[in-house]
Amino acid sequence: MTIEAERIVERFEQGGHGAFVESFDAREERMTINMGPVHPATHGVLRLLLELEGETVVRCEPIIGYLHTGMEKECEDQNWRGATTIVTRMDYLAPFFNELVYSLAVEELLECDVPPRGQYIRMLLCELNRLSSHMVWFGTQGLDMGAMSAMFYGFREREMILDFFEMVTGLRMNHQFIHPGGVWEDLPDGWDDALERILDVLPGRIAEYEDLLSYNPVFLERTKGVGVISRDEVLALAASGPIARAAGVDWDVRRDMPYDAYGELEFDVPVEDAGDVYARYQVRMVEMRESLRLLRQIADRMPDGDHKNMDPKLSPPPRPELNRSMEAVIHHFKLMTQGYTVPAGEAYRVVESPRGELGCYVVSDGGTSPYRVHVRDPSFVNLQSLPVMVEEGMIADLIASIASIDPVLGGVDR
Amino acid sequence: MPEILRLAASEWADRASSLRSEGWVATDLCGLDRLGLVGDGARFEVVVQLLHMETRRRLTVHVAAEGDPPTVPSAVGVWPAVDFPEREAYDLVGIHFDGHPNLRRIMMPDEWEGHPLRKDYGVGKVPVEFRPQPFLQIDAPGQATTSVHAAREVDHLGQPVPGDDTPARRESNWSRSGAAEGEAQE
Repeated sequence: MTIEAERIVERFEQGGHGAFVESFDAREERMTINMGPVHPATHGVLRLLLELEGETVVRCEPIIGYLHTGMEKECEDQNWRGATTIVTRMDYLAPFFNELVYSLAVEELLECDVPPRGQYIRMLLCELNRLSSHMVWFGTQGLDMGAMSAMFYGFREREMILDFFEMVTGLRMNHQFIHPGGVWEDLPDGWDDALERILDVLPGRIAEYEDLLSYNPVFLERTKGVGVISRDEVLALAASGPIARAAGVDWDVRRDMPYDAYGELEFDVPVEDAGDVYARYQVRMVEMRESLRLLRQIADRMPDGDHKNMDPKLSPPPRPELNRSMEAVIHHFKLMTQGYTVPAGEAYRVVESPRGELGCYVVSDGGTSPYRVHVRDPSFVNLQSLPVMVEEGMIADLIASIASIDPVLGGVDR
Repeated sequence: MPEILRLAASEWADRASSLRSEGWVATDLCGLDRLGLVGDGARFEVVVQLLHMETRRRLTVHVAAEGDPPTVPSAVGVWPAVDFPEREAYDLVGIHFDGHPNLRRIMMPDEWEGHPLRKDYGVGKVPVEFRPQPFLQIDAPGQATTSVHAAREVDHLGQPVPGDDTPARRESNWSRSGAAEGEAQE
């Protein structure tokens, strides 16, 4: 309550929307309206219950669950390898991160190492995935602000990245490629040329994005000072990712608690202080550039060797082995039918997904399938900060705030 | 290895405040049903993930939820971030949070019965929600329709149970649907 009261006073002093509310005559006419779950600006099946005074949002309550399919329960019915097919479908714009965080948690229970090449392939795919996810955000943020062409630009480059994913994994999304122990297959021939093309083209394209929106007066008008959230509110609500970094929280899991080989790479973490929609826009734009910088380093340093832990009890043998060795056939059969067992215990691992801290809590009872899988999806937690951003603001600014949270409802509802 | 702290429900409220004043931030909370796990202790637990940004440490807190329904004090007053996660733990595992201002289902429909992530809530053992519609046959033009194979029994995959096609079941559409409603009420 006190936080909200402070915010109203703050806005009043700034002569912003708060001042407008105070002088508004039609205060009595409160209206409750329903936005979503089927609405183009709610990015999926998010439903918002809004209480309006004129065009001012007095109260906003997110209602979720329309896409709930019980994925955590389904994981308990799969073996450890098969559960990657479920988790990859949660946040469908960033599937590699879901697989990665689940694999890291299982690896912690297995106490198995990932060879350097496997770690680098993971980082390569994740940073490309961060770019493709931010491109969807760029498109939708622009589209919601009335800049139709941003969608075309964002999806044009995303297609290049998805083509690369298709070349490496065979699929454009829901890849099931990162597994406990490493990645499923080695990179195909010609991956470096394909990556080189992306790295050549993208810096210019991101500059094009900046030309489109960064200095566009209409875009600035609709994003600066809109959807403000303070540093204390971010910490209280555990919001993470670009939302937290745009409000001055200098925290990035890749840098502060490194996983895979992020400790060996150099990159900067953008931090802004304004906490508004435009600050989140700036943070994501810089993150895209930093991802390119990371990709360049990953491409230069890609080590040789195995792409996964070759323990026959964990990873299926290479295909040619099956023609030669009976032992390999037996291992393959055991892994594909029963699966491997994981020592009893629990593990919690966190990665930095495009939307923030993606956590995975895994409990094993020593059997061949997970006892409990819980995924802390950043969209789910970040959505709690939406009311703080939009209350006492205009309903048109609500659209800008939703787009700047960039929620993926597949991850919210799981 | 993760740092783990195990607490009883009665300790949790005080401990949460002191942890917060030490600078811990709650990032995640979930319910856990320990029905099939070895070891003694309460069947239900609330697992809270804490993060300390200055020291870059993570801490896992297990709070035992005793009683029926299993209950722990809510930490929303300490960390507003656990609002949605507590509602999720209530919805899916059935743990009650004392003092939560808005403890309603969040994922499942409001009228749903049971808590899906409990271990005794089996996958694939949910009764079929759709009662098969009677197959309508027009006997002759202008006459009322009668049903054939009205409301066949189906198994959990929706396949008809064989040997169900007895004359006693060939009743009129109306009486059959009335009986079906009676069954549903039971």
